[in-house]
Amino acid sequence: MDELQDRSRDIGPFVAQPDDDMIVCRCEEVTKGEIRKAVHEGLYTIPEIRRFLRCGMGLCQGQTCAKLVKSIVARELKVSPAVLEPATSRSPMRPIEMHVFADEKEDDE
Amino acid sequence: MKIKRFDLIVVGAGPSGLSAAIEAAKSGLKTVVFDENARPGGQLFKQIHKFFGSKEHKAKIRGFHIGEQLLKEADEAGVEVVLNATVIGLYQDHEVVVRLGEEVHHYKADAVLIATGAAENMVLFDGWTLPGVMGAGAAQTLMNLYGVKPGNRVLMLGSGNVGLVVSYQLLQAGCQVVALVDAAPKIGGYGVHAAKVARTGVPFYLSHTIKTVEGEDHVTGVTIAQVDNHFQFIEGTEKHFDVDTVCVAVGLSPMSQLMKMAGCAMEDNPKRGGQVPLLDEYGMTSVPGVFSAGDVSGIEEASSAMIEGRMAGTAIAEYLGFITKEERDRNLEALNNSLSGLRQGMFAPANRGKDIKETEEGIPISQNLLHHGFVTDEEIMRFPGVTHQDRIHPVIECTQNIPCNPCQDACHIHCIKIGDKITQLPAVDTTKTCINCGMCVASCPGQAIFLVNEDEGDGTATVTLPYEFLPLPEVGAKGKALSRSGQPLCDAEVTQVRTAPAFDSTALLTMKVPKEYAMRARFFKA
Amino acid sequence: MEGRISRHPILGVQNEGKKTVTFLYDGKPMQGFEGEPIAAALKANGVVIHRYTAKQHKPRGIFCAIGRCTDCVMVVDGKPNIRTCMTPLKEGMDVRTQYGVSPKPFDQQ
Repeated sequence: MDELQDRSRDIGPFVAQPDDDMIVCRCEEVTKGEIRKAVHEGLYTIPEIRRFLRCGMGLCQGQTCAKLVKSIVARELKVSPAVLEPATSRSPMRPIEMHVFADEKEDDE
Repeated sequence: MKIKRFDLIVVGAGPSGLSAAIEAAKSGLKTVVFDENARPGGQLFKQIHKFFGSKEHKAKIRGFHIGEQLLKEADEAGVEVVLNATVIGLYQDHEVVVRLGEEVHHYKADAVLIATGAAENMVLFDGWTLPGVMGAGAAQTLMNLYGVKPGNRVLMLGSGNVGLVVSYQLLQAGCQVVALVDAAPKIGGYGVHAAKVARTGVPFYLSHTIKTVEGEDHVTGVTIAQVDNHFQFIEGTEKHFDVDTVCVAVGLSPMSQLMKMAGCAMEDNPKRGGQVPLLDEYGMTSVPGVFSAGDVSGIEEASSAMIEGRMAGTAIAEYLGFITKEERDRNLEALNNSLSGLRQGMFAPANRGKDIKETEEGIPISQNLLHHGFVTDEEIMRFPGVTHQDRIHPVIECTQNIPCNPCQDACHIHCIKIGDKITQLPAVDTTKTCINCGMCVASCPGQAIFLVNEDEGDGTATVTLPYEFLPLPEVGAKGKALSRSGQPLCDAEVTQVRTAPAFDSTALLTMKVPKEYAMRARFFKA
Repeated sequence: MEGRISRHPILGVQNEGKKTVTFLYDGKPMQGFEGEPIAAALKANGVVIHRYTAKQHKPRGIFCAIGRCTDCVMVVDGKPNIRTCMTPLKEGMDVRTQYGVSPKPFDQQ
């Protein structure tokens, strides 16, 4: 984990790849190239990448792309995907309208 | 605020969640199960094939029937199942927040079981966002739950059990499967599942993957290409297929976010499919009173998820003082035995990733099966289920050690022997006289048993095979006999079609072929 | 409805006894079974495009069919982002292709 915090670590330059246009996060339409570039700009953790690019922050909350993003970031950092801490899990776990989220009901014992 | 309390809250009404709730409720716990879906049962109701295992694992029963049994049992045990109930959060002191319709409700329990199952993995390829590219699970949902065809011409990516089983189900739904493709050099799922797809004529492309999915606003075609050892495309190996649908079956990942949210210690464990909770021997996470069972704690089969669920239910009952430690340990011992029965053989979790060359009996594994989906005519002869006899006899093309034995129970004459070790390859006892009842053919979940009379005395042979397609050919129908690879071999005529409630929707089709094809003809095409 | 499986070798006649309802797809009347997911009824009628994405205006359709991926969302009875694979079909429902988050094509937004 310490290794990942070392932002001065040399991961080499960003090199464009033919599939950089490929959509990875389907909801927010974030491409593979954008994710790879973000790593080279110094964003080494999944929460940072999410905040910067919004990948995994759309309607599905990373249900489809989380693993894909992780493997792309890991490859750029030249580490195993297993060492990358996944994104923080927060409520609500599923898409929900704000008026419903705020409508708390009491139940009888 | 007032909060409704339970002894146990279960999240997820799939095989493990329901099984746990049943055990807990039987021990007297006030139990509720929340599920976000409109129907309970998780993925069980999409499983229309017969399950592997032994009697205690409900082998040879189709998944959706197991689901029906489970729901009935839950009902009898007094389990409350709340549907369309989306758990959106799990907080301190076992507080569970649930969306019900347009409202949010808070509940508390002395124990919580997370049994949220898994989600499908994806791979990236050009065109993967086009309408018509879908998860294999999506295809299964459309055809088996809602009676809608996922497409007319389909390419399947992934040769694990999901890819193989769903390919077969697509054929059953009347779709055409143009190819089964996997980047891996070997088929990942059970050989028998592959063989039943291959014999219908579906080509397998191992060490191949999707290069591009074509189409302007929906899928119209797909190009695959061979990959080298480093999964890089090999130039000039491209193959194109006209398709309207591409199904992706590249594994599952645990949906464990609720436990991460609750602060349970997690680990990234590729052998268990991804982010899973660290559990103690009773299925409890690092947060006291929060338990986990089923795919969310490690990807396996529905059969093992049901046992894990029962174990968790038992452990929770003891944790909350409803049963004694002795009662718990007695129950767990029996369940553990049952679970270890399933976790044996070539495909056991412990053997994942291993290159197994020989069966437990020391017979070389069919390499053709691993690379092309079918056992060759030469290879098949070395397995103990395949014998030559001068009368009708079962030919059992079961060539890998998997935990499954319904064929042994099905034969009342005891022609078929597996023995006490459930993973042993079935052997045919040539001293016993087969009575052509067909029960073995219908009961084999792998559809790997045929009844063959190699010489009818008039230059022909008869082959009886399991048939689960429509329209069901009629007696007298003429067509072609197909080989194990699905290639037309010779003319064939249907001489008998048997259906019976005991066969559970598997028809037994008998075809007459020239006798030199007796050990090669394995499918009938009108 | 040619997308339906008329008779299944294991499941028999599916949807037997279900009530047929009429709904509107982009203003055009269509039929489906009451209570089945909207997405199933659309698929049976040959509709595969559910929405066009906000950024790249790319078509999307059924992807997971179990409410996880949110790719099949459409504007239903005026509300956008409705997961059609999870929402039961009702008589008279107004189902529209979603462009970004609007039922209006991009050139009219």
